[in-house]
Amino acid sequence: MVIAVAAMSIAITATYVITDNLHDTMGERFIVEDVWFTTGKISIYLRNVGKVSLKIVAVYVDHTPRSLTPLRLEENKHGWLNVTYSWSPNSVYHINIVTIRGTKVVDYYESPS
Amino acid sequence: MNLRLKQDRRGVSNIIVVVLSLVIVVAIIANIVLWGYEMNQLDWEKMKEDIIITNVERGTEINGTSFTFKNEGALTSHLVSLWIINSTNHQRYDINVFVNSAETITYLRADISLPDDQYTVKVVTERGNIAVCSG
Repeated sequence: MVIAVAAMSIAITATYVITDNLHDTMGERFIVEDVWFTTGKISIYLRNVGKVSLKIVAVYVDHTPRSLTPLRLEENKHGWLNVTYSWSPNSVYHINIVTIRGTKVVDYYESPS
Repeated sequence: MNLRLKQDRRGVSNIIVVVLSLVIVVAIIANIVLWGYEMNQLDWEKMKEDIIITNVERGTEINGTSFTFKNEGALTSHLVSLWIINSTNHQRYDINVFVNSAETITYLRADISLPDDQYTVKVVTERGNIAVCSG
């Protein structure tokens, strides 16, 4: 009896832990509303269009991680994400934005002249 | 006789524990499956949405700007963001406009003035679609 309760408790806890993380990952959606190249930085305006809150923890510009202030967005919220980067005019940049759960939005953006 | 009864009860208890636990595990997994269905529905709705900006012009009777949006999709669109972008500024405005399917509406904003140089107007829907227009 004790062994059965212990075994099933472990099974239930494991199922809950695994599916809870999966639940949040499945519910994550965000979009890039705008990208603005300003002196020494790239500002990216994000909107959370998913069903859970999210946290942006990494941005890769041309596959290289860049420094940023992590941004947390609740459901339906939006805001600027500032990435420190000395960009060059008239260049195309591959920008990859990654959340703490691993969801990413990737696209190419051209800097102004 | 007493020993046998005790063993029988223990066997029944084990079965109850296992069955209850399996019910809980199935409930947790079912929750995930339903959540997946809900998220698929969300993605499907996003794909079905089709909003376009058909006209942007400076107001003639009032100061400001009028925007004409057309919903060519099958679902009602909720417009939540409006951007006016030019070479020097990216200005965002909060909006709250609903456009029914197959409907065209004109949205007037007295506090928005279009730049004199080349500009881009962007409108963002709640589902995450973006319509763009240049002027």
